[in-house]
Amino acid sequence: MAHNAMPLSMAKVGEEVKVIEVRGGQRLRRRLIELGFTPGTRVRILQDHGGPLLLAIGNSRLAMGRGMAHKILVTTETPVIQGSAHG
Amino acid sequence: MAERTLRVALAGNPNAGKSTIFNVLTGSHQHVGNWPGKTVEKKEGFFEYRGLRVEMVDLPGTYSLSAYSPEEQIAQEYITEEHPDVVVNVIDASNFERNLYLTTQLLEIGVPLILVLNVWDVAQQLGYKIDVEKLSQLLGVPVLTAIASKGVGIAELKEALYRAAEHREEIRPREGLVKYEHALERAVRQLTEAIEQLPDLEGYRPRWLAVKLLEGDKHAERVISAHPQGAEVLALREKLKARLKHTYDDEIDIAFADGRYAFVRGLSRHVLTMPHRPPTTLSDRIDRIVTNRVLGIPLFLFLMYIVFNLVQTVSAPFMDWIDELFSGPITAWTLAALSAGHAPAWLVSLIADGIIAGVGSILVFVPGLMVMFFALAFLEDSGYLARAAFLMDKAMSFLGLNGRAFIPMILGFGCNVPAVYATRTIENRAARILTGILIPFMSCSARLPVYVVFGLALFGAHAGIVIWSLYLIGIVIASIAGWVLSHLVFTEVQKSVFVLELPHYRMPTLMTLWLHTWEHTSEFIRKAGTVILGISLLLWMLLNLPWGVKNPQQSYFGKVSSAIAPIYKPAGFGTWQAAGALVSGFVAKEVVISTMAQVYLSEPTSTAQAPAQLHPLEDLKQIVVNFGKATIDAAKAFLNVLTPGVNLFPKHGAEVSETGLSRTLSRAFTPLSAFAFLVYVLLYTPCVATVAAQAQEYGWRWALFSIALSLTTAWIAATGVYQIGLLLGFH
Repeated sequence: MAHNAMPLSMAKVGEEVKVIEVRGGQRLRRRLIELGFTPGTRVRILQDHGGPLLLAIGNSRLAMGRGMAHKILVTTETPVIQGSAHG
Repeated sequence: MAERTLRVALAGNPNAGKSTIFNVLTGSHQHVGNWPGKTVEKKEGFFEYRGLRVEMVDLPGTYSLSAYSPEEQIAQEYITEEHPDVVVNVIDASNFERNLYLTTQLLEIGVPLILVLNVWDVAQQLGYKIDVEKLSQLLGVPVLTAIASKGVGIAELKEALYRAAEHREEIRPREGLVKYEHALERAVRQLTEAIEQLPDLEGYRPRWLAVKLLEGDKHAERVISAHPQGAEVLALREKLKARLKHTYDDEIDIAFADGRYAFVRGLSRHVLTMPHRPPTTLSDRIDRIVTNRVLGIPLFLFLMYIVFNLVQTVSAPFMDWIDELFSGPITAWTLAALSAGHAPAWLVSLIADGIIAGVGSILVFVPGLMVMFFALAFLEDSGYLARAAFLMDKAMSFLGLNGRAFIPMILGFGCNVPAVYATRTIENRAARILTGILIPFMSCSARLPVYVVFGLALFGAHAGIVIWSLYLIGIVIASIAGWVLSHLVFTEVQKSVFVLELPHYRMPTLMTLWLHTWEHTSEFIRKAGTVILGISLLLWMLLNLPWGVKNPQQSYFGKVSSAIAPIYKPAGFGTWQAAGALVSGFVAKEVVISTMAQVYLSEPTSTAQAPAQLHPLEDLKQIVVNFGKATIDAAKAFLNVLTPGVNLFPKHGAEVSETGLSRTLSRAFTPLSAFAFLVYVLLYTPCVATVAAQAQEYGWRWALFSIALSLTTAWIAATGVYQIGLLLGFH
């Protein structure tokens, strides 16, 4: 599983990823969990302007600062073949 | 009529449609205030149904109940301490799982509960199938569906509340509905048993207290430690926590949060089926354009342009109407009445030049503010403003702030006062204060009349570009100040995190828009209005004392102003008149103009004597006719704005009879000194109402800091403009 884990901030626009783990301070983690970022939840990246990300989680749309997105560890839905030219 | 009362609290996530339900139910029977000791808005209202009086409190929108934010704290304390008869939990059905997290906490508290699955139409469009009956069965509470924005489901809710008044106990969720994983559950049970031994728990559920104590909740700790036998329970809590630490490390509260989500997921497995791939909604399609990397920001700037254009063009006819009403008929009638009653000269002057002029100068701003508040309410309620925050986050990060700070900043262009209150939505305290201090650099609508009068008097055809440059200077100065302050004073803002929910787009109802508009406008009239009136009276006194002064320069006001004037010599406007106008402009920036009118045209106002004859009926007819004309003009202007090719600064206000003043101004100022003066007016001290708002939100220390910062900045900028201008050969 962990072989294709990456921070949410590195996922590409249009990609759907699965939350593995939320890192960071207790308060931040709790806030993210309350917003639905529990392990196994699917998240889609709608926009990325280099600043904040626009995410779809469940049926809600969230704007999230990059710093926060760095703290969320995700995996791509379909396993990426190692070594393939990607991104 | 009503014999019985039912006390109801509305709880739910932000954007779940709580306020819409509240508004539809209570209509005009509502009251907006603050929660005691907090700066969070408290909305109360009532309605009557079949002889039952239902009193409602709209709790702050929260994602959960804990003691982390003031909003959550208020909601939790209200439900557990004020013991409402019923809590109505409004749920965004199209966002079922996330919304149910809060529901689990309400179930744990054990308050009689009714669930309303709102936004039902969107959930249907998304292909969600929710088994309402089963959900109601599993939770043991009534579950209703609603589309509040269309009034659907409201009658059923009223009926459910009516039934709840009779059978309150039947809709109280049973204890222990939400269970946790093994280790947690064991600790919860053990602690619950200990708490059950305590006599007289004032309605708190032992299990809820146990969970909250293990989570480290301050509120539950307070309840238990206030209890005479509470010490034993707290000791047991420590023991249990130490044991749980082996499994969960320092993350016991996160384990509880996970447990609640597990409960929610289990629940939705039973009652919710949704398509594997959710269909693309209209909202998403709009977002593809609105939040587009290339189109997003130009589109946003265009919308802002429309808003400010609307504010000016639509409100201008009404502003002129109010202005004419006060300086014309109202003054004339009052003077006639006074002279008929042989009132002494000082009283006539006080009423005509002090009170009527003062009230008029407040009300003349009401149309502009209403249009502004209406437009912003539309942008906010439709869901657009949250997108704007997303788009502007990167630009705001330069100031050390995030996208959330952007909304209050934009509001600042309308009026700084509501803008300061709007900073409440910023979670990080340092970021909140910094935003509140930068807001006064956003040129509010009260400053515009000053620019317009000066612009027309001294810059003629270039007035538009002069005014535009002032707005720009405000933004540039705010950026510099923000950068410096976030690096020197508010270093914690760098750490603040940004996460903001973007609600689905929806068409706001006229009723909601009107309620918002009226709420903010009346707040302005009450808060700012009373201050402005008070200061205009003070100003009248200072201008007329010692009683009988002929030349305003000899009045107390003139003397104070003359003493200050030299400070402004390097900036090019070191006259006592300019200084005096600035002093009174502290009340409200637009007062600068009325003061100048008073001091330059030394005959205070044209109202000293009563007209020979009165024609009340004629006047009344004229007032109504003029109002009609103003409405038609406003409607024309409105259509004009919505069609492209409009000019940004129409010459409204130009017709106002200030030709005398503008002639005097063009003699008293040079274009350069006038520009320096305008820069000063733009930047110097927030008005009294804004300072009061800052003090209320951040404490007096920061309000005074804001005054000091803006006074220094303004002086430096105005002097810089003047001196550099001189060097470059302008005059």
